[in-house]
Amino acid sequence: MALDLTINGAAHSVDADPETPLLWVIRDYVGLTGTKFSCGMAQCGACTVHVDGQPVRSCTFPASAAVGKAITTIEGVSDDGSHPVQVAWKELDAPQCGYCQSGMIMATLALLERTPEPTDADIDAAVTNICRCGTYHRIRAAIHRAAQLIKAEA
Amino acid sequence: MTEKNRTTLDRREFLATSTAATGAFVLGFWLPPNARAAVPHGASWYEDPANREINAWIVIDPDDTVTIRIAQTELGQGVWTSNAMMVCEELACDWDTVKLEYASANRDFREAAPEWTLPVPGEGAYDRDGGGAPEFRDRSYVNGIPDSLYRRMRTNAAASVRDGRYYLQLAGAEARERLLLAAASELSVPVNELAVKDGVITHAASGRTLSYGQVAARAAETPHPNPEAINIKPPSEWTLMGTEQHNRDVPMKVTGETMYGIDVRLPGMKWAAVRSCPVYGGDIQSFDFDAVRERPGVVSAHQLPIPNPELIRGRVFGGGVAIVADHWHQAKAAIDAMPIEWDIPAHLANRNTAGMHTELVAALDAPGTVRVDEGDVDAVLAKADRVIEATYSTPYLPRARMEPGNATVLVTDERVDIWIGDQSPQETRHSAAVITGIPEENVYVHLCHLGGGYGRNGNGPQAEHAITIANENRGTPIHMLWSREEDFVGTTYRAMGVARLRAALDDDGWPLAIDVRTAMQGDGFGPTSSFNNVARYHAPNYRFSNHTTDFHVPVGTRRGIGQAAHEFYRESFIDELAHAAGKDPYLYRRELVARSNLPHKDDLVRALDLAAEMSDWGTPLPEGLARAIALEERGADVEGTVTISAVVHTVSITRDGRVKLERVDMAHDKGFGLVNPLSVKKQLEGQIVWFYNDAMLQKNTVADGRIVENNYDRFPVARIHESPPEINIQFFETNHWLKGLGHDRATSVQSAIGDAIFQITGKRYRDLPFGQHDLSWG
Ligand code: FES
Ligand code: FES
Repeated sequence: MALDLTINGAAHSVDADPETPLLWVIRDYVGLTGTKFSCGMAQCGACTVHVDGQPVRSCTFPASAAVGKAITTIEGVSDDGSHPVQVAWKELDAPQCGYCQSGMIMATLALLERTPEPTDADIDAAVTNICRCGTYHRIRAAIHRAAQLIKAEA
Repeated sequence: MTEKNRTTLDRREFLATSTAATGAFVLGFWLPPNARAAVPHGASWYEDPANREINAWIVIDPDDTVTIRIAQTELGQGVWTSNAMMVCEELACDWDTVKLEYASANRDFREAAPEWTLPVPGEGAYDRDGGGAPEFRDRSYVNGIPDSLYRRMRTNAAASVRDGRYYLQLAGAEARERLLLAAASELSVPVNELAVKDGVITHAASGRTLSYGQVAARAAETPHPNPEAINIKPPSEWTLMGTEQHNRDVPMKVTGETMYGIDVRLPGMKWAAVRSCPVYGGDIQSFDFDAVRERPGVVSAHQLPIPNPELIRGRVFGGGVAIVADHWHQAKAAIDAMPIEWDIPAHLANRNTAGMHTELVAALDAPGTVRVDEGDVDAVLAKADRVIEATYSTPYLPRARMEPGNATVLVTDERVDIWIGDQSPQETRHSAAVITGIPEENVYVHLCHLGGGYGRNGNGPQAEHAITIANENRGTPIHMLWSREEDFVGTTYRAMGVARLRAALDDDGWPLAIDVRTAMQGDGFGPTSSFNNVARYHAPNYRFSNHTTDFHVPVGTRRGIGQAAHEFYRESFIDELAHAAGKDPYLYRRELVARSNLPHKDDLVRALDLAAEMSDWGTPLPEGLARAIALEERGADVEGTVTISAVVHTVSITRDGRVKLERVDMAHDKGFGLVNPLSVKKQLEGQIVWFYNDAMLQKNTVADGRIVENNYDRFPVARIHESPPEINIQFFETNHWLKGLGHDRATSVQSAIGDAIFQITGKRYRDLPFGQHDLSWG
């Protein structure tokens, strides 16, 4: 059965079972590999993408539920790594292995949409992804920095 | 594939792959124009005629592009950047435009190391101007070749800088000198009239300049006349090394472009999901593929024998089965649905943590191997008025990297190609040759970045599984991917352990005798490794013995080889002694180190002093907060390389028992110099979180012979709210080269939280993780 999905503004018609988790449709059918698989049970957030602006853990989100909605993945954040969140991440040299970072950035984008100047407590509540390398110290600083950059751009 | 991704893969290997593969097989990777025509079929190594390789580490194109080859694997530790910095420092090219690619593990097999990379310059660990004191000089345990081209391609033992620095600096210097010789001959001037900066060679007298790209072709043909005379720059002359450099792969990591093993896609590729016997040493009895073969996408099933322990350093995993399908989620769904019967040895089927713990404690009283025995410990303990005794325990712990185990393998009758994030490509190459029967010289390991490393052999048999499946599907690329749950089955663990420490104290509270007994399983790491580290604190009578049991869980490296557990035992016990003595734990440590005859004791004292000063040690804290201090070191008991740190942790505990690491003040050894201090800080910050996990959250238990916690629901990992809000790191200079710092730093989180719990709640817990206890108070 064909699933008609809009990912980063582009239309994709995917021949997959409707119950296929959105993660696998994005990674294996559409071929966008920036979104990561780690736990497969909505625990870690490595697979975070946006569906109509909401962060979802795509490993447990049926692809059929995203039909007709706007899906955004890390590849859709900017063409060249120039989004202020990405810029802040680079300034702080936040990633280590990097595996969790797509998900971290997607969770952060959703937070900053709702809460442009988040407090530490806002960050704690919204960015609940796992980073096994323990980059949290720099991620927190990068989130605050991104908020500044976005404000300066506005 | 984008332009940037080229740097993560060795383009020459892809060229070779594209010609050797049968039929119309074309790799989905970047190929330069006319590549096919240019590659001689069956060439042992392909050198693009447009590119000029100066030596095995350095390629310079006519357009001045400098490419540096990295022979270790980037797993977040920054080796992609620091290795390149060491080459670039000497090469004197423009750091900002350098490109990076992985070195070829295949070529490493075919070629010997250049002679000039073999002798280590200088006088060893204490020679500031020399090459340090490398430890891993050969790979003889793989297949007997003593000095392959890239020497040690392993990424382990926090050794990439320690062991690689001298020959990476030499590689840059050798190339620079040959480029200068080529320019001198081009310009017909003496070489000593030339200067170079950022890849531009200048003849000051005539004002003429040549770029590296312009002379690379000639330099490639110009041998070094006297390679024994090449010198490396001492730290006083470093201009790039020693500066904080952002990691070169970070830009790719914020756009999702980084090529991890899990991201490899080849035309015609099929996916494999695996189920291994959850009890190590168990095997398949039967499986019913007919029950699932009609499911969508399913192609085939393959029984996986117990991986050959000789290929994975003696570790015994279980046998299993794989299902191959068009997509991984189809393979995974099929294997979940397939009936499987396991053949589990009876003596393993009822193994459980409680019984294993009892065995370990019993082993403490059985005869062990005495490793140090100074004075007469038994006599002093027997007549002492005051004996303090404590028994500590630590659980099995895996690395739980975020990228689950995977590898993509294509086996044809001629060759094997493996795309993998791998900390030991040389061993994987060997495994492929043994499993397929194809000569090792025809095995190509294409390195990918790793989504977390933390221990070389913790990958378990990920490569062996993929190679086995691909070998039964010759001509079809197979991408084998473990589920998260399989990754917990396929990894090695740090051994669970117990330690009993006893000390006799004199009237002033100083130790007269210390007896240390540790117990853990006898295979793998631990008992025989460098755990004689309680002796860091002086006692005139001292004994250390190891006691072993026989357990079936495979044990391996995990951010070190078990030292973290031993530092938990040691530092916790010293805290207990200090409290018993009524002395300040910082000054108590300081005095006992000063009394020792450790070769590095002055640096240990300096570390303690600096950490105490940084943390405002001794100033009052509000109720519910406490400070604790600890030493961390690797190698402080022997002459040579060492890494030393002392850390003060400020910990809060709410009345309802919620623990928070509020502030970390770390005084860290910088030796003669750090290559990339920014990478070092990141490693230290990350390890603070790592050992918070160990201290508070993580353990693996065994029930019915199997590991119970196999995903992040039952195996918690700290999240951002658990990361300390304040981290202060200060480096202090010492007179030695460092032993490395990718592991066994910040181990102090464990004992410090334990002691803070004691200070705040009055409760003393000695078994990790502390989060399993009721920590409420008041
Ligand atoms: S992979 Fe989806 S939350 Fe972990
Ligand atoms: S950077 Fe490695 S898991 Fe987050």
